[in-house]
Amino acid sequence: MTRPSEIKPREDSTPGTPYAGFAIGRDLGETRFTITPEIAEEYFRAVDADRALYRIDGRQAAAPNVLFPYMTCALYRTYPPIQGIVMGEVEIEFHHPIWADEDTEVVATGRILDKFERKGRRYVRWEEEFRRADGQLLAKLVNTFHVPE
Amino acid sequence: MKNTIRITQEMIDRYGKINGDNDIIHYDHAYAVKRGFRGTLLHGPHMSAFAAELGAKRFGKDWHYHGKLYTRWVGPVCPGDVFEVELADDGTVSANAGGQRAMTGSATLRKSG
Repeated sequence: MTRPSEIKPREDSTPGTPYAGFAIGRDLGETRFTITPEIAEEYFRAVDADRALYRIDGRQAAAPNVLFPYMTCALYRTYPPIQGIVMGEVEIEFHHPIWADEDTEVVATGRILDKFERKGRRYVRWEEEFRRADGQLLAKLVNTFHVPE
Repeated sequence: MKNTIRITQEMIDRYGKINGDNDIIHYDHAYAVKRGFRGTLLHGPHMSAFAAELGAKRFGKDWHYHGKLYTRWVGPVCPGDVFEVELADDGTVSANAGGQRAMTGSATLRKSG
């Protein structure tokens, strides 16, 4: 089992990354973690989900958005966070179930797509892919967040 | 379809535990107020999870293979707020809390599969 806290630098644990530190086009460091049945269950509880909605042909899957707590792991391992980051938006595509009755080793990769200012606020946009260790694409996302001054 | 959830600090803390963050805007009321918010903030992806649940309910198995969720967090959601999220027939997602729009977006299936 890999808890996000084990692989995600926490705010204030290291010097954080100011807006100027994000480099467009830079790849994020590959990050590996394992989603276990325990994590799938804890996530169900954390978001008050109805497990019955995630049964596929009689087999229990995790909520596919169980990946959200891991979303910033690769990002923050490359660019440690500062306090006060505010998430703006996310688009995520689901491509394959993550089964809740077995361990799934996940490989996350990504890169910085853009950085820009809008209405006096500074934003960073980046993309990420999550694949199983055997290469099966699980999900991919694009996220934008606001970096405080 | 619609879901209504009363937000508590305990829910935010529970999500924060699995999320593994230490961003005090979610946990320190005084800091959040100093930043100009009514109180601590529900994590954006936590809001999205409530919308994703509606996607799973509507699309079932297909959600896992072809689901596409877009959420834009446009307003704060704080402890004590009633968070109302709705998935319209055309796939539009909207959510309100504290008398304001909190999230917009969509939950659909990718046409190409």
